Amino acid sequence: MSEKTYRLILSVFLILAPVSAGAQDLFIKDGTLLTVTNGTIAEGDILIRDGRIAVVGSDLKAPSGVRVIDASGRFVMPGLIDSHTHIALTDTNELGAVVTSEVNVRDMVNGEDRRLFNVLTGGVTLIHTMHGSANPIGGQNILMKPKWGRAAEEMIFSAGPGSLKFALGENPKQAIFYPAKARYPKSRMGVKAIIRRELIRAREYMLLWDRYHASVETGESDPRPMPPRRDLRLEPLADLLRGKTWAHVHAYRADEMLEFLDLAREFHFRIGSFEHASEAFKIAKELAAAEVGITCFMENWSYKMETAEGIANNAAFCARHGVTVALNSDLGPQMMFLFNQAGKALRYGGLPEEEALKLVTLNSARILGVDDRLGSLEVGKDGDIAIFNRHPLSAYTRCEITIIEGVVYFDRDAYLETQRREEEKRRKEKKKKDDGKRPGRPAGPMGGGR
Amino acid sequence: MKRSGIRKMGFLFLLVVSITAGSAFADVGPAYALVKCRIVPGTGDIIEDGALLVRDGLITAVGPRQEIPLPADAEVIDGQGKTVYPGLIDAWTSLFLKIPKRPPLGFMQAFEGIPKDQQDDGRHLDYSAFENLQPNPQDRNALHKLGITTVLSVPEIGYISGRSVLINLNREDAAGMVLRNPAALHLQFVAARGVYPTSVMGAMAALRQAAFDAAHYRDSLDRYQRSGKTIKRPRYDPFLEGLIPYALEGGPVVIACLNQEDIKRALRLREEFGLNAVLAGSEEAWRVADMVEAAEVPLIVSVTFQPPFTSIHFSRDEEKKKEAEEEIYPANPGELARRGIPFALTSHGLKKRADFFKQIRKAIAAGLPKEVALEALTIQPARILGVEDVLGSLAPGKIANLVLADGGLFEEKTRIERVFVDGQSFEIEQPEGEKK
Amino acid sequence: MNRRHLNVLALTGFLLAGGLQARAAAENDVFALMNLRIIPVSGKDIPSGIILIRGARIAEVGADVAVPPGAEVIDGTGLTAYPGMIDCHSYLGMLEISNVAATVDYQETGLTNPQIKAVEGLRPDSVHIPIARAHGITAAHIIPEGAFVAGRTGLIRLTGWTPDEMVIRDEVAMHMVFPSHPGFLFMQMVGKTQPAEKAVSQIKDYLKRVRLYGERKRMAADRPGSVPHEYDESCEEMLPVVEGRLPVMLSVHSEEDIRAAIDLVKEENLKAIFFGVSEGWKVADDLKKAGIPVILGNLYSAYHDFDDGYDRHWRAPAVLQEAGVLFALGTQKMLPPLGKDLPFFAAKAVAFGLDRRAALRAVTLNAAEILGVDDLMGSLEPGKLANIVLADGDPFEFKTKIKAVFIDGKKVDLNNLYTDKIKQFQKRFR
Repeated sequence: MSEKTYRLILSVFLILAPVSAGAQDLFIKDGTLLTVTNGTIAEGDILIRDGRIAVVGSDLKAPSGVRVIDASGRFVMPGLIDSHTHIALTDTNELGAVVTSEVNVRDMVNGEDRRLFNVLTGGVTLIHTMHGSANPIGGQNILMKPKWGRAAEEMIFSAGPGSLKFALGENPKQAIFYPAKARYPKSRMGVKAIIRRELIRAREYMLLWDRYHASVETGESDPRPMPPRRDLRLEPLADLLRGKTWAHVHAYRADEMLEFLDLAREFHFRIGSFEHASEAFKIAKELAAAEVGITCFMENWSYKMETAEGIANNAAFCARHGVTVALNSDLGPQMMFLFNQAGKALRYGGLPEEEALKLVTLNSARILGVDDRLGSLEVGKDGDIAIFNRHPLSAYTRCEITIIEGVVYFDRDAYLETQRREEEKRRKEKKKKDDGKRPGRPAGPMGGGR
Repeated sequence: MKRSGIRKMGFLFLLVVSITAGSAFADVGPAYALVKCRIVPGTGDIIEDGALLVRDGLITAVGPRQEIPLPADAEVIDGQGKTVYPGLIDAWTSLFLKIPKRPPLGFMQAFEGIPKDQQDDGRHLDYSAFENLQPNPQDRNALHKLGITTVLSVPEIGYISGRSVLINLNREDAAGMVLRNPAALHLQFVAARGVYPTSVMGAMAALRQAAFDAAHYRDSLDRYQRSGKTIKRPRYDPFLEGLIPYALEGGPVVIACLNQEDIKRALRLREEFGLNAVLAGSEEAWRVADMVEAAEVPLIVSVTFQPPFTSIHFSRDEEKKKEAEEEIYPANPGELARRGIPFALTSHGLKKRADFFKQIRKAIAAGLPKEVALEALTIQPARILGVEDVLGSLAPGKIANLVLADGGLFEEKTRIERVFVDGQSFEIEQPEGEKK
Repeated sequence: MNRRHLNVLALTGFLLAGGLQARAAAENDVFALMNLRIIPVSGKDIPSGIILIRGARIAEVGADVAVPPGAEVIDGTGLTAYPGMIDCHSYLGMLEISNVAATVDYQETGLTNPQIKAVEGLRPDSVHIPIARAHGITAAHIIPEGAFVAGRTGLIRLTGWTPDEMVIRDEVAMHMVFPSHPGFLFMQMVGKTQPAEKAVSQIKDYLKRVRLYGERKRMAADRPGSVPHEYDESCEEMLPVVEGRLPVMLSVHSEEDIRAAIDLVKEENLKAIFFGVSEGWKVADDLKKAGIPVILGNLYSAYHDFDDGYDRHWRAPAVLQEAGVLFALGTQKMLPPLGKDLPFFAAKAVAFGLDRRAALRAVTLNAAEILGVDDLMGSLEPGKLANIVLADGDPFEFKTKIKAVFIDGKKVDLNNLYTDKIKQFQKRFR
């Protein structure tokens, strides 16, 4: 590949980190550390070794040969987690069936979705990118780290339990479509009945395999028993029942969440979170008791009937009543400023700062089952870090640097410098072009040369 | 090779014979002798003052002019100043096919429930390109003009698109054109509108399920046999029956890959199920060159140089997009050549097929060696399609698919004057007003 | 603020609610807000001062204001007074639930609708209004949407039982969408565009038709008995625009379109406000030279052009400020919440380089100037409507609590659906 081609490609990805892949060492010094789990450390330092946080403290010395980031006057927090989004995917829904648990969004990742860069500029270091909500049982979801410029498969983060999308309410019942012949389900009753039917099938499927494995072990029958047909639709549901996968359930209304809680009790599976959960504040008690989290918008509401009571105080209210609450962007522009959404928890419900920070860090990690790896500045956790110029919960803040596993993927100063150079280049080229063609703006009714 | 002193002397006489009494030699086929031409055999050295004999659709001799005795019955073509190349092979076209009309499915109709028998479920395993072959001279001539004498006619419907046929663009009927049928099974990561699967991930899941089902079906049949037919016979399934040769027995599978993620998907399927896969399209192969190189998978490469919709270059402003089209994507074939990844070039995807050579020239300018470009149009597609024993180079015994050009194949001013397909000669009409 | 102060506030609130409900009756009521830090916007900050309110208007503002005997006194120790904010582009009152068509009234079908008036679609009971109000927004410029000539915008106060009580100006500007998309809204959805030249000639053709219509109308009036004049609503209601009596608010975005629009406005001699101007930062100097004020839309959004930079729209206000362009902010959200995020948009602009004072001015006095109501609002000055926000800190900051909002001299109820729902369900968790 020619030098020029290579340079052109690099300019798109604004690669500022070393091109070599993999985790790095990094030393961040003299920042105000918002650890999330252990309070605030003024003028604190962090050492990242092999992509993991090795030391958190103050007055540390940078080991020689390690890149140093001076964070003095800045605020250092764990990388933000967008716990519900649909970016970096070619499609959102598999619309061809009502139950589509066989599909996995991993099969349609696109590492060049520029929104992966957008989220980086807002300090996001992990996204839960999901199947849509068209079907009562959607597809399998994945976690990705937005390592902009790297291949999509390098971004996939495989820790934690599996994640399977369910959807309740208006979307799966197709409330805004009025086809001549309705698809089943057309009501909340139908949605629940379908999910229940599939869970029963999955339970039978699981038993079928268990029986098969048992009979192979005893080895009595002849000819040897046939293994059951692999059913890719039921396998993820069987994994849900085995506890290997958690349900992530699109739901807005309190009643539909309660219905689903019944299913989880009946079939003994784990709900990672209710997604959106506008009316969670009405059933905070039940959610807290069932240890089911939610991931909601701070305040988007009234965009459809079932969100008419989606109040901004929902997050703070639920958090105060013992529910694990996370925030998400769901594709919205707030993917670029989730920290502002968390900041709003200070106004709507007056959440303490540390709790507000958890909405986009530790709590998100919890509902995704990766809180052992992510969500706070603790030794042993991944070196995923966001650095802000002001307190991240201030309305005036902006993200300056985003680090994933010790590698700087976004550095605003360097970004602006690249921008400036590009603009300069463009201006020069444009000038050359204009000079060759005509002096100044042409006369005429339209004026301006463009 | 025999000496040919006498025949040389009878040059003029023979010419007369072949014109007047050509039909009398029909039982041994028409014969041609291309002489005094530059011969680029595709494999082996270039012959500057060469001769090439064609009889009954096959090449009977190739070599320096002095060494080739001319048969008395051959029509001699003076190739002074001309170059002979092997006929070019386009390993991915959708030409000459009758495609079954699908019910017009709107977005809303998707939810209305289409009767089962009218549904296009995206599985066209039973679609045979041969059975739907509709040769037409217009497209044939257009291809000849580009020096293309052989094409793979590929159905492009559903995610399992059906089976292609490899044909020679001669004057015969469908059956007379066939070189290989079925040539390959074709897959793509798109689906039918409105019915399952509608998404790329759905197509992947459906393909996997189909492959698992094929294996399960075969195992059931085996078990039935092993039992001495003492257990209930497995239920007959024509779809799985037809899939077994490709999913389980190494039948060639061509997977259309419009972007780098498609390539990864294809490689994943190939690995999961041990498919004998060829990746078609592959304009972003350079993005995943390490992976492609390691997989040792052959490619059929398009030269549209359009950033696919998934690419970051696609969503940028016109200026930057243009830059990507002109500077970045044309480097793909060159990069593959540099790494020694085997690939064929195809005109597939071009808005105007006539731009094929213009695009190849861009690739050459971006680092593709001309020799590799020629191989990618001749011997490489022949290898990929398993016909390298009969096609892809100029050697005695091979099918007489030839291109006669007035200069180097990749020069801008070069015109292709004549092609031979199965030894049948086609003179190319040169457009009026076009200067050489 | 301690408990005593709160009580005083609560008491006054009660009195105001009882006594000042009808505006006419409020004329002679006098009360004073004491011990406030005052940010008048139009003048210097007053570290500790008094605002004297008579009826609906501010009577006096200063560090040392004589409070007439008998006037109600409200102690605002610890609080800061700001002018009420103006959402300069809003669908407040015209939209409840975005995808329930029955509740959506901000948008008309068809191309040319100068007869449409935003205030005629206004629903005073909208649940979104009290929410916006609780953020210190006291007035909103409400906008009808359409494909080309969308209709007339209006200015409302965020309080009142009926539309009449809410309307400050029933027409502020004619909203036109620069037709960078040919035809109807569908073309916008599919992203089909036409060159600026075409768009300009579409506007010019229309304005020519309107002018001809005006001429015919005048001639018919001059010569009674001649051919009767035929009323054409698509021209009639546009006459004030071509006659320069009503400004046009032109939604225009790309650099090319903005440049063309600047020339057009000059050639057609229109009074113009530009809205949106996504690429206005590229032509800030031209905008300044043309003297065209600008309203920027939703800043909690993503920018459209990857190469311009992810943050261009956030940096744009600072660029416009630098160039000396008069600009204001609007919320322009079709998805609720409506209106209320205005202060946070201002903060976003500050985060990306805008001076904090300029940001405050953008959501107050600039907005009033652009809408032609700077005699009524936009700053804390004697003679202006008493639209006042009392906050325990910077009203743009999330952690700040808005303690009281006065509109036209009346303290308004800060309860809204958010607080009501929480109150309702708190009972369940006691």
